[in-house]
Amino acid sequence: MSTSHVLLGLLAHGPRHGYDLKRAHDDRLPQAKPLAFGQVYATLGRLERDGLVEQSGQEREGGPDRTSYALTDTGRERLDEWLAAVEPPAPYVTSTLFAKVVVGLLAAGVEAASGYLVAQRAAHSTRLRELTAIKTDAQATVGDVIAADYAITHLDADLRWMQTTLQRVSELNREVNP
Amino acid sequence: MRAGTLVRLALAGTRTDHLRTTLTAASSALAALALLAAATVLAIKGGADVIGPDGSYSRTAGAERYSSPYLHEAGLRPGVAAVFVVLSLLVLVLAGQCIRLGAPARDRRLAAIRLAGATPRQAVLIASAETVTAAVLGSVAGLGVYLLLRVLLDRRTKEGLLLLPTDLLPPALTIIGLLLVVPVLAGLAGAFLLRRVVISPLGVTRRTRSRGPLPWPGALIAIGFVLFQVPGWVGLGIGGNGWAAMLAVGGVVCVLGVVLGTGWITYTTGRLLRRFGARPAMLLAGKRLIADPWSGSRTLAALLASVVVGAAALGVRAGFVAQFDAYETMDGVSAGADEGFYLGGVDLFLIAVAIGVVISTAGTLVALTEGIVARRRSYAALTAVGVPTATLAEAVLWQVLSPLVPALLVALATGVGAGQIYNMSDQAATVPVGALGLLGGGTLLMMLLAAGIGLLVLRSSTDLEELRAG
Amino acid sequence: MTALISGTALHHAYGPTPALRGVDIEIGAGEVVAVTGPSGCGKSTLLHCLAGILKVDAGEVRYRDQDIALWSEAARSRLRRTDFGMLFQFGQLVPELTAGENVALPLLLGGAPRKQARATAASWLERFGVAELADKLPGTLSGGQQQRVAVARAMVTEPQVLFADEPTGALDALAGERVLTAIVGVARERGMAVVLVTHDSQIAAYADREVALRDGVVDASGLGLRMSA
Repeated sequence: MSTSHVLLGLLAHGPRHGYDLKRAHDDRLPQAKPLAFGQVYATLGRLERDGLVEQSGQEREGGPDRTSYALTDTGRERLDEWLAAVEPPAPYVTSTLFAKVVVGLLAAGVEAASGYLVAQRAAHSTRLRELTAIKTDAQATVGDVIAADYAITHLDADLRWMQTTLQRVSELNREVNP
Repeated sequence: MRAGTLVRLALAGTRTDHLRTTLTAASSALAALALLAAATVLAIKGGADVIGPDGSYSRTAGAERYSSPYLHEAGLRPGVAAVFVVLSLLVLVLAGQCIRLGAPARDRRLAAIRLAGATPRQAVLIASAETVTAAVLGSVAGLGVYLLLRVLLDRRTKEGLLLLPTDLLPPALTIIGLLLVVPVLAGLAGAFLLRRVVISPLGVTRRTRSRGPLPWPGALIAIGFVLFQVPGWVGLGIGGNGWAAMLAVGGVVCVLGVVLGTGWITYTTGRLLRRFGARPAMLLAGKRLIADPWSGSRTLAALLASVVVGAAALGVRAGFVAQFDAYETMDGVSAGADEGFYLGGVDLFLIAVAIGVVISTAGTLVALTEGIVARRRSYAALTAVGVPTATLAEAVLWQVLSPLVPALLVALATGVGAGQIYNMSDQAATVPVGALGLLGGGTLLMMLLAAGIGLLVLRSSTDLEELRAG
Repeated sequence: MTALISGTALHHAYGPTPALRGVDIEIGAGEVVAVTGPSGCGKSTLLHCLAGILKVDAGEVRYRDQDIALWSEAARSRLRRTDFGMLFQFGQLVPELTAGENVALPLLLGGAPRKQARATAASWLERFGVAELADKLPGTLSGGQQQRVAVARAMVTEPQVLFADEPTGALDALAGERVLTAIVGVARERGMAVVLVTHDSQIAAYADREVALRDGVVDASGLGLRMSA
């Protein structure tokens, strides 16, 4: 995922300055990694260079000067292109969890891999509970709930995969050493 | 639980529930009417034979105001009363069948009420409230009809003799007792049928499969036969109360044997159909029969009871005929009037049996259509996977007729056996094959009619729309 | 913390098939516990035994320090009405009674006056957002609506323990979420304990704690492993 496309999207409703963009990003994508200021300004600089955004004014409110940026027509086109492009559905399996279990089974054997899976399952369950609590909190915003849903669904998929893998491995084991 | 709640919960129900309530009330009314008629006949006093010290023959006073010998002769009245009691028994069996109508849906409803926190007692109360109220209302209606008939049928012959005992009533306590018979029996039967829901609110959903019924109820028929012999062994006078009670108990035991034995017949027929059935319809029917072997007992109970009683009466009649023939050959005298009198009595009984067969066919029809409607989703599912309607119709016919024919034969044989024992006579009466054939064939014909109407219901039940419902 | 309700060495078999083979479980007041495991692991049987619907073959079920496994069916029925709430996947509403009557049913069975029972029922229907459905028959409601009516009925006696067996099994994700949020909300607000039976980790995550079952025994690993500890 590219930060530049997200920033373009956040500018779609009108000009904003850098600090505003960071706040909006963290608000809308609450469970994502928070954006650093430096990263916002660096990205804006690159977007301006490519003619996707332009400076639309200066503003001063008792602090330092703030430059606000607006989307150019090219920028809007680029945003639309990005939104319309279908994401390739998981072309590579790149999860660390997956790699660890496979390597664990190869290097340390079923026993050790199982121990790891049990500990991982507990951690997953705890995280699942936390996310559910966030979701059911009366103060939760739609953004919070959507983000929690996304994470919950993925954790649940992990849990189911762990379960199936364990069953598969133990069945294989039984066939090999009955 | 307050009374208002009880009424609301007892009355909550579907069309089938209302049909059941109506039928329960109707059969209760009929049974009350028949029992009241029996009690009225028994309430007549006098007319007993008295042989004076000088050998003169007279009758005790009190009954001479009636035109019919069946009423003014004390020795005959128990027989007339017995006709009505048998009729009421047939109606009671019918009432028992009605209680089962719509039972699966009602069991589910009561289980849901149990899950909501109703105690077993409350569940029984709710279920019985409906049945008992219907039965009480029916009994009261029966009393009303009885009182009305007393006025309407108050006729006299030219000589001023009463045709019917419309001038007297049974004792008040007897009337009340008779009116309570059906409600009490209905309440007890209802509670018994609910036992699964009573034990556990999940009783309906989790059912353990038991193995098929065994043929032991057939032994009841033999026990009944033995009971018939008892009066002869201990020397109970014919026409006395003890004699009548023994015959009644023997009859009930025999009928129970036939009805309960039908469970085994149904199950065995089902297994034979499954093993040797060459047509898909036979396999389908066999599966149903094995799945619910008691369905035959439930739907055919009243019918089989009528057939047993009818066959017995035919046997007795044949016995009388043989006896009179014997007298004739021995004495060269025709029994004449006497013969007509005795045979007339039996014929009266046979009319009661015919009414019983018609009533119980109606009951069978209700049970049959209800069974088809209750399984309409599986019938619709079978149609959906491509089973032709004709095959389903054939399966229903197999399902109804294949256990019916053997059960009918057992019922006829039981009746004939009972009749032969009753005759006890030295005169070997010929078995009235023709009359029995008429009884069996007539019954079979009535059932074919009922099955035909059931098939009409099946047609609408295989509508694929049924798959979407619920 | 002493347990509000607990099962010790619970055994139950359906004929020759064992469903529970010595399960220990404790639930404290106000605690939401998920009972999880694959189908056939005995989780529903455990719930039925704890709620006193099924009799245990061996072991004890203690509620408020009384062994309710020894009680009569009538006494357990009354306890279910006063102290327990029941919620199943479907089929618990009486189809011939309106939603409002269904919710009022436990109160009415307990002898409450009709008017009062209907008023209490109405306030619970309101709480779960289905007040306008009070006069409809269950058959005319959607699955989600039926289930919210069922939750209202389970809550109407303000139970100490709610037993919920796959309460959202027949619902789509959003309808299920609404039902679960309602249940957990009431549990937190009133300190009601919940036993939530489910095979779904996402639903189990609504609970404070999870007890996994497998083949009729507690599975400490949650993955069907025999744990040496």
